[in-house]
Amino acid sequence: MTVSDSGGRPSADEPLDDVDLGLLDDIRDMFDATDPMPADLPERIRFLLALRDLEIEVARLTAQEDQPALAVRGAEQSRTITFDSDSLTIMIRIDANRDGTVRVDGWLAPPQRREVELKTTADPLTVSSDEQGRFAFVRVPRGTAQVIVRPAAAGRSVVTPAVIL
Amino acid sequence: MNDQDHDTVRASQSGRGVRIAELVGAARQGSEDALGQIVTDLSPLLWHVARAAGLSPRDAEDVLQTVWMRLVAHLDNIHTSAALTGWLVTTASREAWRVRAEERRQLPADQELLAELPDGGPGSEEQVIMDDQRHVLWTAVGRLSARCQELLRIIAFAPRPDYVAVAAELGMAVGSIGPTRGRCLAKLRALLDAEGGPR
Repeated sequence: MTVSDSGGRPSADEPLDDVDLGLLDDIRDMFDATDPMPADLPERIRFLLALRDLEIEVARLTAQEDQPALAVRGAEQSRTITFDSDSLTIMIRIDANRDGTVRVDGWLAPPQRREVELKTTADPLTVSSDEQGRFAFVRVPRGTAQVIVRPAAAGRSVVTPAVIL
Repeated sequence: MNDQDHDTVRASQSGRGVRIAELVGAARQGSEDALGQIVTDLSPLLWHVARAAGLSPRDAEDVLQTVWMRLVAHLDNIHTSAALTGWLVTTASREAWRVRAEERRQLPADQELLAELPDGGPGSEEQVIMDDQRHVLWTAVGRLSARCQELLRIIAFAPRPDYVAVAAELGMAVGSIGPTRGRCLAKLRALLDAEGGPR
């Protein structure tokens, strides 16, 4: 539509015009369609930023596995997620409860007693792991959640990235 | 970081740029909400910076988390939308390249080639239904150099008034009087003209 002065090809040195801006909009739409950012990513980042003032060690999600339900009642499927940090491995298994909430069972390795907090969209929940490193949150609302393992006598909290329950 | 230079070449005072500048000010005062809105606004841009660099979706997410965490420590030095966008794009690019270099180091040689292939770029068009005009554009973009594809993909997600800052951060030539079309867009338009498309 817009023809450059000489009537020739659009030159690299000319100012951006509406055609260019239209092309950029189209390119944006194409990549939005082919490779969209996960819709919940900004929310998970906001969640993480809210924790930034704590003295923390951030664990990395290293494995995620869906298992078809073995049990007949209630649970549709069970999901296992593993997080690793320098000092700790945290594994959680998520099972659906029949009332729409989920149950979260977790293990710490190396096994140890620690205070474990689950930050959810509602109030945070806190339990303690036993000496085998096991802990459980029996009823947790679905939505974004993040596990925080409070420090032993000395040391830092270990925080996982937020996951969707 | 050369934030001041970009401030002076800010392209325009569009609503979005002004809004982001206000949010940066509020975030610096400690507003979680303002910071959160900036994250929501500019994360898609950073997603495409990381993905255009060839990272997997999971690595791209890690890069975004790292970049946003670092921004918080850096907010005091940032006062405009252009400076913010420029800093974010540069930091995300560097972090993406660092992650890729790390991965290449860890990969066995026979997997190296696979790691070279970014997914999600032109080539994955079968995933979407596109009208003819889109298809022509997609094909033309796919014919550009990898560098041009990366640049255009990133700039397309930059807030309009920050186009110049982002282009400069990415090493694109910027004209003295304002944003110019640049080599990549000129080439794209030449390709589209050759197709006889409506542009």
